[in-house]
Amino acid sequence: MDESQSSGKHLPKGQGFYCGPIRFKDPMGRILLNGVTLKIDKPSVTVIKGPSGAGKTTLLRAIVGLNKAKVEKRILDGTIYPERRLTNWRTLVTLLLQDAPVISGTIRDNLSFPFSFKNSPRKGFPEDEAVRLLDQMGLGHFGLHHQVDGLSGGERHRLGLVRGLLWAPPVLLADEPLSGLEPELAQQCFDMLFEFSRKRQAIVVCVLHEERFSKQSDLVMRLTDGTLHRT
Amino acid sequence: MGHYIELSLLDLLLAVGLIVIASAISVALRLGLTKSLLAAATRCMLQLGAIGIVLKEIFRINSPYLVMAWLCLMLVMASWEAVRRARSRYRGIRLDALATMTFTSLAVGMIVTQVVVKVSPWYDPQYVIPIFGMIFGNSLNGICLCLDRFLEYLRARKKEVELRLCFGATRQEAVIEGARQAVRTGMIPIINNMTVAGIVSLPGMMTGQIVAGASPVQAVAYQIVIMFMIAAANGLGSMLFATLAARRLISINGIELNDS
Repeated sequence: MDESQSSGKHLPKGQGFYCGPIRFKDPMGRILLNGVTLKIDKPSVTVIKGPSGAGKTTLLRAIVGLNKAKVEKRILDGTIYPERRLTNWRTLVTLLLQDAPVISGTIRDNLSFPFSFKNSPRKGFPEDEAVRLLDQMGLGHFGLHHQVDGLSGGERHRLGLVRGLLWAPPVLLADEPLSGLEPELAQQCFDMLFEFSRKRQAIVVCVLHEERFSKQSDLVMRLTDGTLHRT
Repeated sequence: MGHYIELSLLDLLLAVGLIVIASAISVALRLGLTKSLLAAATRCMLQLGAIGIVLKEIFRINSPYLVMAWLCLMLVMASWEAVRRARSRYRGIRLDALATMTFTSLAVGMIVTQVVVKVSPWYDPQYVIPIFGMIFGNSLNGICLCLDRFLEYLRARKKEVELRLCFGATRQEAVIEGARQAVRTGMIPIINNMTVAGIVSLPGMMTGQIVAGASPVQAVAYQIVIMFMIAAANGLGSMLFATLAARRLISINGIELNDS
């Protein structure tokens, strides 16, 4: 939703997630995001759609401070996160990157690394939960000590989802988390995101193309011509 | 101590004969190197000649200011050269190189000249200039290797670093593995040198001291100090440079690698 009317002095209060207005110019000087604000009050699953090149990835990366976008405010549950607290923000508003990158090492390495960070709100790797999630995603047969080098694209995407669900942030952003998955598996994974949002009272925002997931989500937004609209 | 044979101009002229041999080979085998060989030989002669004259004056005047000024000049030249040799660069690399070299050489050089060797007066150019010169020359190599490795890591594993950032890693946490690899790379040459010292090669400084008439035991003592000094300088320099580069490249806006 385009919230250009929100003035600087009156901060959006209360519960939920607020980020914006976001402005971004690409290296050619083309305005990709023209004061976009993403505001979600309640636990829900939101799907962001839009033509390719519209800036969906740029938007998600801007929210977590991974590009040169100008982001005026980042607020979660009434707390403002200035740029110097971006690392804390990222532990709470976590982006699952496009193409599901992995770190070299085992599946365990890939799931446990965030829990050792200085700013991690949760310490100690929840191994039982990890095993349970891996089973649910159909990755259980690999075991925690399997090297990730040989995983296929689809398997890496599922591993990325497990990482996100295990981390369980209040706001989970995901950039095409289901690409490369068979339709049934994709559905299963989407259901898990949905269940996660309901169970943990989390806000989930995904960039997804498939129409059927839009229909199943709580909210659909469309990014076109640098602005975000609710559809 | 032992005796020392002074070289005259005539002796030098005789040495030119050696370059003639090298050129003759180039001509005979049509290596096409004759010109560059002669140019290099000339440059070598002129540069070293100039340095000889300058150093002679610095030694004669023996002023702390002049010694400091000369060290500063060497420092700037060395950090400049380190950047020139680096395979890739980033904005602000010169400043980072200069800061690294300044801190490293000051810390290590002071320990060696003031605490270990106890040079007196503290600025005695006979000791201070060659010792600092060796620190500059060697840490230049170390930080150059380290930087190349570090930038290569960031380029090849950009996504991995971003992944860590996405889950709330601090800058250090995001690049620690790359920094480790880079510092290791920066330290390998000196470790190799220390391992083979005396067996495969007689280190340059030790050789020089022996020729100059110092007792081999003293020459060895100095060489050990110098080796350890270089190890410290390389370790410190690599670590510092990797930290500075990480500060600049992993900004508030993610990873910035501007390839030039």
